[in-house]
Formats: sequence, C-alpha cells, structure tokens
Amino acid sequence: MRIFLAFTFAGAVLASPALAATTDSCSATGDLVISARTPQVDLYDAAGGKRVQSMDAAQFPSCAPITGRAPNMMLQVTVGGKKVWVPPYMVKYRFAGKLPAVCRNLAMGSNQQKVGATRGLGEGCPKTGGK
Amino acid sequence: MGDEGKPQEQTSERPKKSIGRLRGVYLRVRRPNRAYMEALKLHVPYWFVVAWLIAFSSFQIWMNPFGFSDLVQRYTQDISDLLITGPHLYPNTGHEKVSVALIDEDTLHSANMPWPWTYGQHAVALGALRALKPKAVVIDILFVDNRPDDTLPELVEEIRRYQKDRIPIYFEGGIDLPFGENPLRPEIAATDVPILDPSILVYQGVARQYPINGRCYRTKNPENQDCYSLALKLYQDLFGPVKLDTRDGLMEIVWGTNADPTNAKWMHPKDADGNLQSCNTETNFFRRIYLAFFDTSAVISSCPYTGVIPVQSLLSGQDDPDITNLAHDRVIFYGASLQGAQDKSFTPVNGLMANVFVHAMAMDNLISFHGDPETNTFSMNGKAMNGNLVQIVATIPVILILSWFHMRTVRRKRRKGPEPERDLSATFEYFFEKFIEKVWHYLAFGLALGVGLLLTRAAGLSVANWVEVVFVSAELAALLLVDAPDAFWGYLHHIAGGEPELERGQ
Repeated sequence: MRIFLAFTFAGAVLASPALAATTDSCSATGDLVISARTPQVDLYDAAGGKRVQSMDAAQFPSCAPITGRAPNMMLQVTVGGKKVWVPPYMVKYRFAGKLPAVCRNLAMGSNQQKVGATRGLGEGCPKTGGK
Repeated sequence: MGDEGKPQEQTSERPKKSIGRLRGVYLRVRRPNRAYMEALKLHVPYWFVVAWLIAFSSFQIWMNPFGFSDLVQRYTQDISDLLITGPHLYPNTGHEKVSVALIDEDTLHSANMPWPWTYGQHAVALGALRALKPKAVVIDILFVDNRPDDTLPELVEEIRRYQKDRIPIYFEGGIDLPFGENPLRPEIAATDVPILDPSILVYQGVARQYPINGRCYRTKNPENQDCYSLALKLYQDLFGPVKLDTRDGLMEIVWGTNADPTNAKWMHPKDADGNLQSCNTETNFFRRIYLAFFDTSAVISSCPYTGVIPVQSLLSGQDDPDITNLAHDRVIFYGASLQGAQDKSFTPVNGLMANVFVHAMAMDNLISFHGDPETNTFSMNGKAMNGNLVQIVATIPVILILSWFHMRTVRRKRRKGPEPERDLSATFEYFFEKFIEKVWHYLAFGLALGVGLLLTRAAGLSVANWVEVVFVSAELAALLLVDAPDAFWGYLHHIAGGEPELERGQ
C-alpha cells in the first residue's frame, strides 16, 4: 500500500500503561505480570520460539516480575522456576515505564509509483508462505 | 459544332432520365450533387434523426470502439467515487462492521520479526485478535508452501480455539498454482476451515470491480467457479443471503472516501513539502470539484476508509478502546502491506493500497447495500443482461429531446424568406430570448438525463454506467451540431433518386 511507503516509527511517546495498571493488588514495583487475562496462558521457550505449555489461568502465578521484554512484545516471567515467555495479550501486566506509541507517516504522491521489483523473501531458504 | 457554344454541363443539373436507374445510382454514389444533398437534408424526418442517433449510440456502447466505452465507464466510476458517491452518498453501515488488521513494514521493524513470519507468530497475532471477540476473521495471507516450521501446530491449535469460541475463521486458497500444490497447507485445511477464493479484479491496474463468483475449494474440481467469491461468501455466511438477481457479471465497488477517524489518530500523510497533515480533511462538495478539476490527485487521500488495527498494537496487548472498538463484533481482514509483496492495487480514491483493503471494501459494499451491491448487469426474465442494453435505453429520452431540438432548427432553416422585422433590440433578442430558449433546452436535456439515471438505477446498475450515457449524449449533441444525420439523410435520399425543389439559381 502506497500509504505505508515511508514509515517512521515514533518511539517512546504517549504511552499507555497496561491493563489494570492502577487497580492491581500487587505491591511490588517495577514491571509485573499481574495475573492471567485469558482462560489459558501459552508459555514459550523463547520470544520468537515454540510454545512449550498451555497453562490454565488459575495456575498462572500472579504478581510475577517481568524479567525480559522482547521487541515482539513477548514478556519473560518465571513460572515454576523456569524462565518462559508469554504473549502480552494473555496476561494483565504493568510497566513502570511507557510503551511506545504506534504512529505512521504516510507517503503522498505514490499514485504514480509502484515498486517494480519482487521482494527476495527468504533468499537461500526454503520457500515460504505469505501473499 | 452544335454543342460547342453551350456552357459545360453543371454538376448541379439534374441527372438525365436516359441514364439507366442502376447507372444513375452508381453515378450519384460516386459524384453526389452537393446542391441536391444540401436541399434534401433540410427535409430529414424526425424518425430518421432518432433512428440514426440510436444506431450511433448503440454502436458506441455495444461495440466499445478503441475501448472507449469501457474506459469512460471506469473513469467516470472513479470520478463518481471521488467526488459524489464516496464523500456524500455512500452509507457508513458497512464501515461500522469491517476492519483490517494490518501487518506493515513498521510492525516488522519494531517487533524485529522479519517477513515471512512463522506460523506460530501468526498464531499469536490471531490469538490477540480472538481475545477481542470479532465477528469473524479472514486471513488474507496464503499458506501454500510446505516449508518446515515446527510452530505450525500452534497455528492449528489457534484455529481450534477459534472454532471452540465459535468465531468463524476463513483462509484463502491459492490460485493458478503451477506445480499442483494444495491451495492451502494440508495441516491447516484438515481443521475444516472454510477456504475462499482470494481473486480480485483490476482494470488497467485499478481495482474498481469485484468478482461475484469464485473457485469452489474442497470439491473435486477446485477450478469450478460456481461458488461465491470471498466477500460474497462471507456476507452470505455472516449476514444473510446475497440479493443478486443474476450471478453473471461483476460487482461495482463503491469506494468510500472519508478516512476512518481512528486511522486519523495514528496515520499522518505528508504533503509535497514533507509536512505532516491530518487524515481528517473534510472537504466540501465545491472544493472537491474545484480540486479535482485542476488536479485529480489532490483529492486522493492516503488514509484508508476502512479502520485499521495495527498488528503491532495487537501484539503489545494494550488495552486500547480504539482497538477494541475496531475489533469487537466486526469482520476482520488480517493481511499485510509490505514492499515488494506483489499484493497491492491502485484504488480510485486512495492510490496504491494492499489488496486486503479491496476485499474489505467489497465486504463493506455488501453490508452497506444490504446484500444487493451495484453491478454491471441486470436480470430480465431470469436471464442476465449486459448493462449495455440499459444504457442504450437510457439514451433514448436524451435522443428524443435532442432530435426534437434539432428538428426545430431544421424547420427554421427550411423556412424561406427574410426574418420579419422586429422592434426588439438586439440585446433583448440575443441575451434574453436566446437565454430563455437555451435554458429551456438545458432543462429538457437535464430531464432526459434524469430519466436515464432513474432507468439505470432501477436496473441496479452503478452511476458509472449512467455517466457513460452523459458522455454519449454529448457526442450525439456534437453530431447534431454538425448536422450529421441530416447530411446522411440527404446523401441517401439523393442516391435513391430524390429530387428537391431547388430555388432559382441553385
């Protein structure tokens, strides 16, 4: 889409604390996973890794400190003595800092222009899906 | 020598009776008598003018010479979308029901997730979408290749969760696969998810129409195109029956122009000088016309009409009321807009956009028009008829009016003798009488065009089909201005042996 030709990621502006940040019962400070948000919470072995377990919400620890944050937003917490990664939408969490705002600057005038090349998707790798 | 003193035979003299009839016709065809034709053309009958114009307009509309007819229709559709239908007439019923969850370059960059994503990464994004309880989700990304990816079971599991939550999820099947690949990866297809035909149509690179029929996957012959296309199948499943009299023909997509207000919060187009502008640029009717007159691109917006959910926001799990509003109880098209991904088309109102917006707009049209979208065909006695017939019928009122005006002029020319002396001033004659006469002409012409518009709309055709009638009408008026039907009548009549009463000296 032409409107996304010139993306500029505006970092660290106006951020909104995560869900229930002001109403949670966790006394600890810092970045925290307060509790499970969905009936089940998927646990991953790495930020972009494989799912290793789906845990019922009742079993998921509350007020767990976030020990790592990945660029793809995955949160690292310790569950059962193991460090695992959870998708943020599955938990209620709280950040001490702020999340970056999502903004886009759209290019104008691309009505006369179009990329005349095919993107080299995964060169040297097995061919992949993606339309 | 008896004939030497006589003047040479004039071409204007009547043909000799001694020449055989056929020879006479042949001679008149080769060397027609101009004076005869000029005289005969003043006697053109009304029915001939009407018939001649109908024949001309039929030729223009049916035969599509030089692609002119098609081009006019498509171009006028663009103008209509940009200036009239899009900003002023198109209802926003569908707008409240359809959104696009978009993976864009910035998502890849900020999440450090290069394309293509693993199946597991799609599963996470789809899971975040599912948590917002959409009405349905359509995956506008092809999963055709059997690439090794040990996160595939995660996507399969996510599909099962959708099914468990009774949220319809649709995948798209590959088309024209050269090596007989499965249209959808077998592990995903095994979940019994519906597979839809992702085909769209572009006319000279611009997405203006949408197919009604699509491939029937999960049948013995996937190339069988008796099923509905993507948007129509979705509408049928989620909102009710599609009210099309015929399945022949194409949907005419009406493109909305008013950018979704949520888009305006996070999208900012840059002007030519690099200054950020707002997507909320409300432009009144006259200003749009003015801008479009001098530079059509000036009224083309970079901001999409359909509300966009950035997948980046989905991944972050932020509790954003805008995102919730855009996702909850809506049909979500999950797609990507990436450089070089070959999945973009020009649109009449937004320029180059990802094709996921074409599907979303088609769905929007179906909802806004309650399953009865604008098409380029109509049904007569249960048979699909091309819209050309309606266009020709719509030109008839215009032809009748134009021919009547023309006959008044012809009769005036035919009247002999000087104009009667009038006491009126030239000012009165030319600025008042002519004005009144012309106003009356324009009113009648407008009325005829209005009747054509009603006919076109009654048949369920788009405004674009009618606008071609306007163009053809202008052509017909130009032809009448140069007396084309009269000249043709004069020529034919002359060839057939017609002999006018010529004035002395002619």
